Amino acid sequence: MSEVDMAVTKPEMMKSYIWLQTADGSIQQVEQEVAMFCPMICHEVIQKGLGSSKNYAISLPQRVNPAMLSLILDYCRFHQVPGRSNKERKSFDEKFIRMDTKRLCELTSAADSLQLKPLVDLTSRALARIIEGKSPEEIREIFHLPDDLTEEEKLEPLKNTTDDPRIRLLNRLYAKKRKELKERQKLKNVEVEEERVDDRSVDDLLSFINGDGGDSKGIKTSKSKKKNRRRKDQQKSTSTNEAIKNHNKELNGLNSVCCSVEIGQKSWSGVGASSNLHDVEDDIFASKNELDDGEIDDEIDPALKEKIDREVEDFARRLNSDWPERMQEILSFGHERKPVHFSLNGNGSLRRYASM
Amino acid sequence: MDDVLAPDLISDLPQSIIETILTRLPIRDAVRTSILSSKWRYKWATLTQLVFDEKCVISSNDRCKVEDSLVKFITRTLFLHQGPIHKFQLTTTHLQCCPDIDQWLLFLSRNDIKELVLELGEGEWFRVPSCLFNCKKLTRLDLFRCEFDPPPSFKGFLCLKSLNLHQVLVSPEAIESLISSCPLLESLALSYFDSLALTIRAPNLKYLCLEGEFKDICLENTPLLVAMSVAMYMTDDIAEHFEQSSGCNFNRFLGSVPRLERLIGHIYFTKYLSIGDDLGRLPVTYVHLKVVELNQVSFEDMKEILVVLRLITNSPNLRELQISGSSNTLAAIDAPDLDFWDDQCPSDCTFKQLKLVKMTDMSGVPHEMEFIKFLLANSPALETMSISPCVYVMDGRLNMLIELLRFRRASAQAEILFIQD
Repeated sequence: MSEVDMAVTKPEMMKSYIWLQTADGSIQQVEQEVAMFCPMICHEVIQKGLGSSKNYAISLPQRVNPAMLSLILDYCRFHQVPGRSNKERKSFDEKFIRMDTKRLCELTSAADSLQLKPLVDLTSRALARIIEGKSPEEIREIFHLPDDLTEEEKLEPLKNTTDDPRIRLLNRLYAKKRKELKERQKLKNVEVEEERVDDRSVDDLLSFINGDGGDSKGIKTSKSKKKNRRRKDQQKSTSTNEAIKNHNKELNGLNSVCCSVEIGQKSWSGVGASSNLHDVEDDIFASKNELDDGEIDDEIDPALKEKIDREVEDFARRLNSDWPERMQEILSFGHERKPVHFSLNGNGSLRRYASM
Repeated sequence: MDDVLAPDLISDLPQSIIETILTRLPIRDAVRTSILSSKWRYKWATLTQLVFDEKCVISSNDRCKVEDSLVKFITRTLFLHQGPIHKFQLTTTHLQCCPDIDQWLLFLSRNDIKELVLELGEGEWFRVPSCLFNCKKLTRLDLFRCEFDPPPSFKGFLCLKSLNLHQVLVSPEAIESLISSCPLLESLALSYFDSLALTIRAPNLKYLCLEGEFKDICLENTPLLVAMSVAMYMTDDIAEHFEQSSGCNFNRFLGSVPRLERLIGHIYFTKYLSIGDDLGRLPVTYVHLKVVELNQVSFEDMKEILVVLRLITNSPNLRELQISGSSNTLAAIDAPDLDFWDDQCPSDCTFKQLKLVKMTDMSGVPHEMEFIKFLLANSPALETMSISPCVYVMDGRLNMLIELLRFRRASAQAEILFIQD
């Protein structure tokens, strides 16, 4: 027929075009069969009769910007041809999908607003492939997700839906850490209070100044007062009471602080880590208070005591600074394969590492 | 690490897309997204498809431990889940007769479950609890290695479209009444049943797949059947039973499937069909039948050859034919009834649409060659005829080729491919 001739002379008459307008105002015309591949455009044309001319261009949803539109039209242009084999289509899809994550997300959004389900499926599959098997940090970095779960929320017992033993451990550590945070808050208050209020009675002070034998009594009273207050504050933490008892019992002993440090070292690899961390910090406060009140024990060489205190502080600082990293490590579910405690080898069987 | 100015790429996509993405992740990864950010905390909890298998938990050599952690994982996931659950799939060899499965099924029955797939281990078979029969919205049910016992008050799954029972202990009456009471049933698969005698009445059935030892199958009311795949394992008892049966199996099976498009028969299917054959003219012409695949056709048995001929001569639109032989070379050398091909063979039939023929496991016995000759002479549209000899036949191959060369071909474009292994 003379269709070919007609096509040469008046191409616009033979091929219909649909006019599309993107959110930024730019208008373009697209071959009808390509545009009609999108259900949303199809709907607009058929139901509302739009798109036949520039003035009546179909307004595309906001999520479709010109770059995405051109990608989508490429997709439609290929797939609307009926004669293609499944193999060809699959191969086209594989190549089409290769783009950076940002564009992939935009494309998913745009395709969804045009109701182009096959493309949404394709892009969703690609995004799922990106997410699968990655650690939370990696995923956050790829998609620019804010790490905005508050400390509290993160410390909330993770619903251990995978029953990962590391998560169980983590929950316990978090619980201790939470307690510890609370204690620290309270202790800070206590310390502040104590600095403000020197509640030693005038008699006590006088007797101390006068070098009475009663000073030991006075000391004991104030010590016990402090003990009581601390006991009140830390009713929940039995381990800290223990520490206090230890500390006060062995106040004169060189071992006291070292003992706690040892305990701390030994059980860092265990669950009670932060409680002993607490002990250690408690000791620091305790010893500081003792020093502040001038109740220096004569039996301990002050220099040695200072050295011990410094060691303890160092150790506590190390523990504290390690903590965020350790949290990250544990949270990353063993992808870095650092021997925290458990590690998965290739077969997924658990290997327990000896405690550090 | 985070660029404060870089916008969040993905969290604001519509929930339906997020669900599409999460559905494509293994369930463990999907649940882990809850710690990505505050927006992601509960995005996974409304997933409507939950697929559990052994990859959900850390594997170890301690079976008890794995079983334990799998049970905990599934229970907790279900507990934290919000909203309807449309698909629940559990594939594992670890949970034998676990009471937790009953509880999960009870939970699912209250949550509009639509698709349920239970593939359980080899040990003691799981006895399906009665709450399963209360799942009114069930559209798909796949059970592997379970005991299935519908209560007498059970009226059927009114929405069920697909039923797949594999190694399921159930009484034949129960299956029959189950099939009949699911009016929307479109796809039925029954495998590994022992000596099952079954009458199938399913007015909407489109796809049928049978595998196992079947004593007697009658497709009584399956007018819409489109595709069928049957593998019949014959034991001696069944063979004996057949000797005594009076019905014509061909009619009972293929008598009322006018819409059939694909027929695949494995192992003893043609033998089964050949029993009780009345050799009469079939009232049914398979107008839509396009693809026929028959495996293990014994070309020594005249009856089986007749079944094949009857089938293909009543299928005017047949496009593809695939036949694999199973002849005993020695026995078939002196083949009786060779004159059948000259005398009684319908010579007026033409396979106008037949384009592809594949003959595999050919031993070169006379009946096989006659059959090939018959096809070549009556297929004007044939494009490819491929013949693969049986691996045990080494000497006869040359003879086969010599014979093949002589055969007249009705189609000028027909290619004969002789495929050596």
